[in-house]
Amino acid sequence: MADTNPIRQFEIHPILPMEVNGIDLSFTNSSYFMAVAVVGVTLLMWLATTKRALVPSRGQSVAEMLYEFVAGMIRSTAGTEGLRFFPFVFTLFMFILTVNMLGMMHYFPAPGMHGFTVTSHIIVTFALSMLVMAIVVGYGVWKNGFKFLKLFVPSGVPLPLYIIVTPIEVISFLSRPLSLSVRLFANMLAGHILLKVFASFIVMMGTAGVLGFLGATLPLFMVVALTALEFLVAFLQAYVFAILTCIYLNDALHPGH
Amino acid sequence: MSDQDESNHSDPRDKASDFERRLNAKIEARRVEEERRNPSRSGWSIGLRYGSDFFAGVLVGAGGGLVIDRLLGWTPWGLIVGLILGFAAGTLNVVRAARDINASGDTGAKN
Repeated sequence: MADTNPIRQFEIHPILPMEVNGIDLSFTNSSYFMAVAVVGVTLLMWLATTKRALVPSRGQSVAEMLYEFVAGMIRSTAGTEGLRFFPFVFTLFMFILTVNMLGMMHYFPAPGMHGFTVTSHIIVTFALSMLVMAIVVGYGVWKNGFKFLKLFVPSGVPLPLYIIVTPIEVISFLSRPLSLSVRLFANMLAGHILLKVFASFIVMMGTAGVLGFLGATLPLFMVVALTALEFLVAFLQAYVFAILTCIYLNDALHPGH
Repeated sequence: MSDQDESNHSDPRDKASDFERRLNAKIEARRVEEERRNPSRSGWSIGLRYGSDFFAGVLVGAGGGLVIDRLLGWTPWGLIVGLILGFAAGTLNVVRAARDINASGDTGAKN
């Protein structure tokens, strides 16, 4: 009987065990999928831009569409000035999108032949969001210097209220990486568990006689519908992550609100 | 109506600009239609955004309060004040998220 444990898919297995100074640095299936995503995106962009034609080929128009999409997203949230962050936002968006999409494959040419969703681990999404925050704070302080702290002191508030407002603003700022990472992680985790639970209903009912076999078509339809929804969520969450990155980067560019 | 079409067809330049105009109108109409039909922010994602924003505010507030308790030994007060401030910060996050989402919806309707 097929494995119906909905959590098993998130297990991390070392592929290339490695240990440096007692720290486990194994190359795991998670690392493998990240590497595949990076190589895949690089190949796509490289192949799409080798033959730069005025009338784009299919690959080139995909690359152009992605470029336009991300550039438009940055322009609409952070203005033209925000385009200096284009390489970062584009990389982030493409990485999350590819990793999410790779996670939608049940079988994958990886050790063990099963798929894995890198973004279903909160440490990965948290590292990504901390990277965003590090850039926001680093660039904000470098560009605006002391004025970056204006982010925590909104204008037009009576003086005594700053005792309350400033801590609230600080907490709100500190909660950004958490909410950014939790959102992506929770979406991917919940979606994949849901898919697996409904898929295991098919197996359980299918092995329970004729009536169960007929009844198993219901969760089958559900799984098909959920798979479509999951593709939407995989794209949408990459988009949301990127657009919130743009919004936060806008704060680094213009801290005065 | 048909008279106008005839006059436009007679001059090739007019015809081209007319074509451009009609094409742009079509593209615009199609874009508006698509935006209306496909509110790419599904309810699920908006709900999760509010939820995670609020949750993160409360968590960071409470966590910060606990850390202050540990460091300074103000045992219950750091947590209490941190939780309250975190709650406020979470609400602020939700208000900001709602403003963002509403703003993007408005520009979509306007353009």
